[in-house]
Amino acid sequence: MSGRRWSRRSFSKLAVSVVSLPLLPGLGAAAAEEPPDLAPGVVAGDMPPLAERLPRNPRVVDMAPLHKVEGRYGGTLRMIMAEDKDIRMMTVYSYARLVVFDLDLNLVPDILEKFEVEEGRIFTLHLREGHRWSDGHPFTVEDFRYCWEDVSLNKELSRGGPSQQMLVEGKPPIFEVIDETTVRYAWEKPNPLFLPSLAGGSPNYIFMPAHYLKQFHKKYADPEKLAELIASHRMRDWVALHTVMARQYRPENPDLPTLEPWANTTAPPAERFTFRRNPYFHRVDGSGRQLPYIPTVYLSMSSADIIPAKTGAGESDLQGRYLRFDNYTFLRQAEKQHPIHVDLWRDGTGSEVAFLPNLNANDKIWRGVFRDVRFRRALSLAINRHEINQQFYFGLAREAANSVLPGSPLYKRSYDEAWAAFDPDQANRLLDHMKLKKGGDGIRLLPDGRRAELVVEFAGNVEQSDIMELVREYWGDIGIKVFQRSLNLEVMRRRFLAGDTLISMWGGLSVGLATADLPPEELAPVSSAQGNWPKWGQYTETMGKAGEPVDLPEAQELLDLYHAWRVSSTTAERRGIWQMMLSIFTDQVFTIGTVNSVNQPVVINSRLRNVPKEGVYSFAPGAYFGIYMPDTFWYDEAGNKAQ
Amino acid sequence: MIRYIIFRMFAAIPTLLLISVLIFFIIQLPPGDYFETYIAELQAQGETVDPNKIAYLKHEYGFDKPIIEQYGLWVLGMLHGDFGYSFEYEMPVTQVIGSRLYLTILISTVTIIFTWLVAFPIGIYSAVRQYSWGDYGLTFLGLLGLATPNFLLALILMYLANIWFGVSIGHLMDAKYLGQPMSWGKFWSIAEHMVIPVIVIGTSGTAAMIRRLRANLLDELQKQYVVTARAKGVPSLKALVKYPLRMALNFFIADIGGILPSVISGAVVVSIVLSLETTGPLLIRALQSQDMYLAGSFLMFLAALTVAGVLISDIALALLDPRIRLQAGRRK
Repeated sequence: MSGRRWSRRSFSKLAVSVVSLPLLPGLGAAAAEEPPDLAPGVVAGDMPPLAERLPRNPRVVDMAPLHKVEGRYGGTLRMIMAEDKDIRMMTVYSYARLVVFDLDLNLVPDILEKFEVEEGRIFTLHLREGHRWSDGHPFTVEDFRYCWEDVSLNKELSRGGPSQQMLVEGKPPIFEVIDETTVRYAWEKPNPLFLPSLAGGSPNYIFMPAHYLKQFHKKYADPEKLAELIASHRMRDWVALHTVMARQYRPENPDLPTLEPWANTTAPPAERFTFRRNPYFHRVDGSGRQLPYIPTVYLSMSSADIIPAKTGAGESDLQGRYLRFDNYTFLRQAEKQHPIHVDLWRDGTGSEVAFLPNLNANDKIWRGVFRDVRFRRALSLAINRHEINQQFYFGLAREAANSVLPGSPLYKRSYDEAWAAFDPDQANRLLDHMKLKKGGDGIRLLPDGRRAELVVEFAGNVEQSDIMELVREYWGDIGIKVFQRSLNLEVMRRRFLAGDTLISMWGGLSVGLATADLPPEELAPVSSAQGNWPKWGQYTETMGKAGEPVDLPEAQELLDLYHAWRVSSTTAERRGIWQMMLSIFTDQVFTIGTVNSVNQPVVINSRLRNVPKEGVYSFAPGAYFGIYMPDTFWYDEAGNKAQ
Repeated sequence: MIRYIIFRMFAAIPTLLLISVLIFFIIQLPPGDYFETYIAELQAQGETVDPNKIAYLKHEYGFDKPIIEQYGLWVLGMLHGDFGYSFEYEMPVTQVIGSRLYLTILISTVTIIFTWLVAFPIGIYSAVRQYSWGDYGLTFLGLLGLATPNFLLALILMYLANIWFGVSIGHLMDAKYLGQPMSWGKFWSIAEHMVIPVIVIGTSGTAAMIRRLRANLLDELQKQYVVTARAKGVPSLKALVKYPLRMALNFFIADIGGILPSVISGAVVVSIVLSLETTGPLLIRALQSQDMYLAGSFLMFLAALTVAGVLISDIALALLDPRIRLQAGRRK
């Protein structure tokens, strides 16, 4: 408790110092070791000097190999979000994790000093000695023990038990504290999901600030005090209180200590969240200067519709979210009036839009037709991807099946090209072979004599409905009459799970930049949220309690391969499984892709340095800006327009 | 009169209860619940959801209980001043709404005053100078305000204000004043940002008010007592304001019932377009995502205000116009 009070006082002083002290470049040079916004606090004795705040071995970020330069302190980073719960994007962007993906998509230690893996099932994690939470309290193995034993395994706090990533075939690991800076998680079988889950944009948290949270935990707290806290926070019970106060991904509790570069200081609801530097952050640049360079980040809330306009009015310093390619021309124009520039990054999904024929549809006839691979291939062959590309993306996108992107180590040209050429003749031939004869009006007839009228459902934005208009014609040309229906996302999800949807329009693989170490879950029926086989997915997800067992050999093969991946121990083994799955998935055309690598406009303040000119905009892996380390971004006050 | 008021207050209880039933069940009508919406949203962005966690949340918020029980808990809670929990914001509903209430009241009040300031002179002028060019011209302007889609007007004005005057887009103040104590700069910034919403929301209301005032006043102006007063040489302004205008204001008092809830709810569409931190967008968002306690409690709040507003306007009418009180008294 006392540690916490101390930190709050120091934070308020820190805020005062930011306001009262103009960030003179001279001062930065004089006190090269301390970030200027912290220096007064250190001088006044509110905060230990840098050497005592950093872990003994901080993570040194070498800028040169990253094509970055060492920066200066100062400035504020303004970003705009649409909903209060978007505050989680700050956790995504700031991307400090136990282990992180580097730019080559390798897993490297970040908060951890190092880690060892034995047989793919025993994970030994080494903490940095002297690492501290943002309130100055030591970050220790106790924080791991508390999280595992007192939270994950607590029946009240985690009703469903530990998360999926912590279970292998339903069994949890054996957790051990080895010494003061070492913990070990050991499963009976390999758990390839473990490390990537720690590095996720939305990470699997296996540590928590125990010293802070114990005051909310029934096992540790004084019952009277706890009852008081529950009442004063207007919570139902201690479980709700602990859950709300402990939320790390959505950092709404300003008192919750963090290990991220910036800590939230604003309690919601708010129009603007203010994040301030974590004075104990563990990364330094090559000259030993503590990161982040930018002391303050503002996250303003706005309605999603006017975010492009506000960005164009120069009100955001770093914006990708809620911008779309069709805002590009407007944003380019805004470059003339405001000190911003627009870069085009690449979207990281496997296909900008994809069609998902529902293999679990209720309509028996359609279901039979969809399950015939010839039909799915015919639909794919009939799409003129080149025209879509020219029409909507100025020819800048890539025409391909729904698969991984060239940036992925798993990429093969054959996946892109699988049934993705524009060949209506072959499509017609395939349908003729299926004995779907054309009626007098050019529309094919289903086996039961009905006209082949297909309703495509989508959770409509304008872009999708425009593309849909073209696809309606392509499929009309091969004798399939198409109607489109725009729905709410959740209604659509419910409809395909109920079997009412025939075919839906959705995004492609979200891990377009997959590595072998990322789970291939989108290629196999494992979740009820998969529009092409929701009931099979539900069956896997609920371990047979709901849904239907897989009854298509190719889909079963994918599921088997997925299970094999789940217990694989080496990357080479995993790569083999991924390749097999990708080749089945694309050859069977379980989803019909259109174009990928669409341009994502990213608006950057012209004085902001170290933001890559070209990047990949994707949630997993990469955490959007996170993989490019926003804590290394800095303002060049003297410099002219960038690049 | 006292008996009438007491009777009306008791009648409000079953009314509100009935409204609460309707609200609760209408919000429940669309299939699914908040958590399904939440999952769909996360998945659309490539984030994954742990089904265990959702099951836990459902239990935590009582979604596994029968619907009647959920309703009972909600209503009982409201009697204790507990309006439930917002899933979207993960905090008590009162906290979510409370912070937005002040700005909503501010903007709505200014808009209402703006509407009156514009509509009254025009309405009186139109009645006195019926069928003149001024009557036609001003009425046309008013109708134009009514006919233009609010959101379009808001977008255009917002764009122009940014280009010409450098007013930041949307919101009720410049970002730099957020969370700052009140100062002249902040006051000025709020005033600057209020111009557009007030004009946009205000213009749509003026036309109706102009027409009603004009019609009522025209009726009055042709009555015997006005003609007599004029004939006896009462100054024309006095002959207009002293009685005819007062009598023409009945509709205005009757409108108070509707004004109270509208002060709180604000103009929803305009607020969404302009991204104002008022309660309107909050309600829409809550309805979309089926954040049921937030939406329900807010609707309930509006319903209570409507009931109170109608009561107030009834009493005010009775005070203003003795004829109304007599009729009410006879029925009792």
